[in-house]
Amino acid sequence: MVDSRQAVTDAVPDLAAAVEARDEEGMRSSRFVGAVLLLVLIAMWVAGWLSGTSAEQMLSLTVWGVMLGGIIALGGIGLTLCYGVLKFPNFAHGEFLTLGAYVTYGVVLVLPQSNPIWRFSFGWELIAGLLVSAVVTAIVAIILDHFLYRPLRKHMSPLVLLAMASLGMEFLLRGAVYLIWGSDFHFYYSGRSNPALQLPFGLRIQADQFFVFALAVILVATMYWMLTRTRIGKAMRASADNPDLAQVRGINTEQVIAWTWIIGAAMAAVGGAMYGLASQLRPDMGFVLLLPLFAAVIMGGIGSAWGALVGSVIIGVAMQLTSAFMNPAYGPAVAFVLMVLVLLMRPQGLFVQR
Amino acid sequence: MDSAHVLKACFLLIPAILLGVLVFSSWRWRARLPAAVVLGLVLAFGISAWVPGIMDYLVSFCIMATIYAVLSLGLNAQWGYNGHLDFGIAGFFAVGAFTMALFVTAPPSGLMAAYAQQWFGLNTPFLIGMAAAGIMSGVVGYLIAQPILHLRTDFLAIATLGIAEIIRLIFQNERWLANGPQPLSGIPQPLSCLSDSSGCSWLPAGVNHLFSTLQPRDYGYVYLVVVTVTLAVVYVVLEALVRSPWGRALRAVRDEEASAAMSGKPVKSLRVQSFVLGAVIIGVAGALYAPYMVTIDYSHFKPLFATFLVWVMLMLGGSGNNKGAILGAFVIWAVWSGTGFVTDMLATELQGIAPDLASRMSFLRWAFVGLLLAGIVLYRPQGILPEKKRVSRFLKGVPED
Amino acid sequence: MPLLKVDAVTAGYGDTEILRGLSIRVEPHEVVSIIGPNGAGKSTLMKTIFGLLHPREGSITFDGQDITHFAPHRIVRQGMCYVPQVANVFTTLTVEENLEMGAFPLGKADLTESKDRVYAMFPKLRQRRRQLAGKMSGGERQMVAMGSALMLNPKLLLLDEPTAALSPKLVDEIFGRIARISETGISVLMVEQNARQSLNMADRGYVLASGENRHEGTGKELLEDPNVGRLYLGG
Repeated sequence: MVDSRQAVTDAVPDLAAAVEARDEEGMRSSRFVGAVLLLVLIAMWVAGWLSGTSAEQMLSLTVWGVMLGGIIALGGIGLTLCYGVLKFPNFAHGEFLTLGAYVTYGVVLVLPQSNPIWRFSFGWELIAGLLVSAVVTAIVAIILDHFLYRPLRKHMSPLVLLAMASLGMEFLLRGAVYLIWGSDFHFYYSGRSNPALQLPFGLRIQADQFFVFALAVILVATMYWMLTRTRIGKAMRASADNPDLAQVRGINTEQVIAWTWIIGAAMAAVGGAMYGLASQLRPDMGFVLLLPLFAAVIMGGIGSAWGALVGSVIIGVAMQLTSAFMNPAYGPAVAFVLMVLVLLMRPQGLFVQR
Repeated sequence: MDSAHVLKACFLLIPAILLGVLVFSSWRWRARLPAAVVLGLVLAFGISAWVPGIMDYLVSFCIMATIYAVLSLGLNAQWGYNGHLDFGIAGFFAVGAFTMALFVTAPPSGLMAAYAQQWFGLNTPFLIGMAAAGIMSGVVGYLIAQPILHLRTDFLAIATLGIAEIIRLIFQNERWLANGPQPLSGIPQPLSCLSDSSGCSWLPAGVNHLFSTLQPRDYGYVYLVVVTVTLAVVYVVLEALVRSPWGRALRAVRDEEASAAMSGKPVKSLRVQSFVLGAVIIGVAGALYAPYMVTIDYSHFKPLFATFLVWVMLMLGGSGNNKGAILGAFVIWAVWSGTGFVTDMLATELQGIAPDLASRMSFLRWAFVGLLLAGIVLYRPQGILPEKKRVSRFLKGVPED
Repeated sequence: MPLLKVDAVTAGYGDTEILRGLSIRVEPHEVVSIIGPNGAGKSTLMKTIFGLLHPREGSITFDGQDITHFAPHRIVRQGMCYVPQVANVFTTLTVEENLEMGAFPLGKADLTESKDRVYAMFPKLRQRRRQLAGKMSGGERQMVAMGSALMLNPKLLLLDEPTAALSPKLVDEIFGRIARISETGISVLMVEQNARQSLNMADRGYVLASGENRHEGTGKELLEDPNVGRLYLGG
């Protein structure tokens, strides 16, 4: 493939920028797409306000949307890493969330209940549950990879087969959750109060919601630090960028893949538990979030952790804002429409070049 | 065998002969037809005489398996021929089923109108309803294809999964459309008059007398003929298309898109056509499903039953092979039904020991089917009946993409 | 004893055979150039040597060690580094991160020393160390690719068409760099389209056609051979 554009770019450096702009092959720049998305969100805000919801309520919805975005981000970052490194969409990723939530529930049931911490509704047993579920879910992910995805990789199977296999695993894991915990809905703590904190601008956030958001921010920041500052993190980004070249450079790709599963699954487990804390535990909670998760990842750009975060917040806010004037059950539909919108303008997502 | 049994066996004759025609498809017609008739007679009368007790169960089994076979054929048209990874079969299935229901039912009147709503009810005959179902499903497929068909295969899978979920949400939440989330009931069954005590008004009295030994609960025998004939028509149409220049162009686009484009094949419209064709067939399957169930609601179209199971069927039977699609449907439906028996037994066993666990035994099948697909993908991704490759014999071992 | 010995190797994709009983060698501190028409198997040879493809017959020995069936990351540890023709940088990583990935098998302490060494060879990269590799021009990307491969101070450097798609001025620059690299004692095995110039600077060369070794000799010999000239050097 003779790249005559490169020859031109070399010869006349000043034109490089101009060539870059056309280089997008008709795809819009990130800034354009970002502006469109912002306009869409503003339009949703206006629609909600026009439908009779007060400005304060819209603001609350926005804030709650940001927090929902944080939860989605915990799953989304893991999903984008796995998607980027392993190159196939893991349809079972939602089940890491579900599993995380339910294992935490199991731990909370088993441990003696302690007093709530500060003004949260939960005690130390929930924190213990988070740690246990992160470990358990990571182990499940490694087992799945070892017995199913790795043999397929070794056979050089086409990626569609891995995607199909992951869909099978989605039903296996969900069936397991149904078997172990049944199809009823559960709460971590029934009957405990969850007082709201008063914030400026008449905002009221429950203490639990604040915890969820803070934890999401901390984990995302940790993730970001790991990806940019540690050797294994950079190796993960390199493998996601170009797995063949990573091999050529001597990176042990199987080790990188193992760490990707561990981190992705653990983050998802915590995300699921947070979702369960903020709403409730249902066996299909992961599946319901699957479409918003994929939407966020694709919008942000596969392989980009930062993109997953931004995409998740946009999706979260959009889902909440539209609930002001639409049936909230259509949340996933909103996520879907936004995803298609971005795909039409810039298929590689906001934060990915190429 | 009493006269009722003989009558039922006669009904079974048609599907059995069609089966024979399929099985002996590699024979020439002069041998094929008599052989099929012989096989049909043996199967129909042999089975009726041998195991009259489970005849009824076999009939309902075959009806569902046949409907799933139509679904598999539809998926094969999309995936097998043109490589579309459609994880949203449930959506087209639902569109087909609900369109059929809306067309063949009458609008609720009198007391019912207070409890049930639907967008319209045209009270049309069965075939018109089926045509409408196929067309509607095809239209939806076409509309979906426009923005998303050109996406990468994995994005297509995600998008179709999303669309199926949205379609299901619509049928679940929009009361005015199809009474969601309440079921839409009273779907009339074609030719049900044959098994009614009053007989068909459009048949002469003598013929009606022939069918008088049929009970209403024997309607399945009549419907089995309906679905197998539909399956046969779909199969014949698809096989003809596969061998046509259109079919060859499709396979060219699937296998070597760049060179197909350079040979002047209209790649984009071919891809849309195969996708829409699959959608139409899946819609027809929905049209078969609705009258059989008499009552449908959104929960019938959840991803496990209406998407995932079909994929397992096609992958096991052999993607790219229409016979494989039909075979896979029957085998997996047998496995599914079989595991149903097992879990029921387990449930009764566990009733005394752990009633919680007993009630959840049915979910064991989810896990089982998931593992089954994983096994197929690992050990035999081409399925039982692999695609017959009609590629040039001069090409061997082309490098993987 | 040769540094690299490819002995009667047969390799290909699927059922096709691309390399047929091919033998070449690279001595220590040599520059060897492989030329030949498209489809001759030059890239396949590189991939086979580096373990991205497994030979069906024959053996490959490097520095006395049989590496015929080694995976790439083991071969890297033996002291051989490879610069592929395309997609040879991590576009979403910075220049500095690309170099760090080149030295992945090393521990942290050795990294600064290697980086300094590579920056000394490619001073322009030091200026651009925080830039995304994907945003750089073709020539600069090639420098990043080569620099990454040199981070581990390999004994043998494999280059797959290093001057492909570069302007004539850059081609000269790249060949100049290759010469300087070989002066530091690193052996170079390169596959090249720019047959004339590469043979000019090579110690020895091979002409590959249809997966077989058609001609062999020093760079000068091949340049002056009328058969080679007519067929492969464009007159």
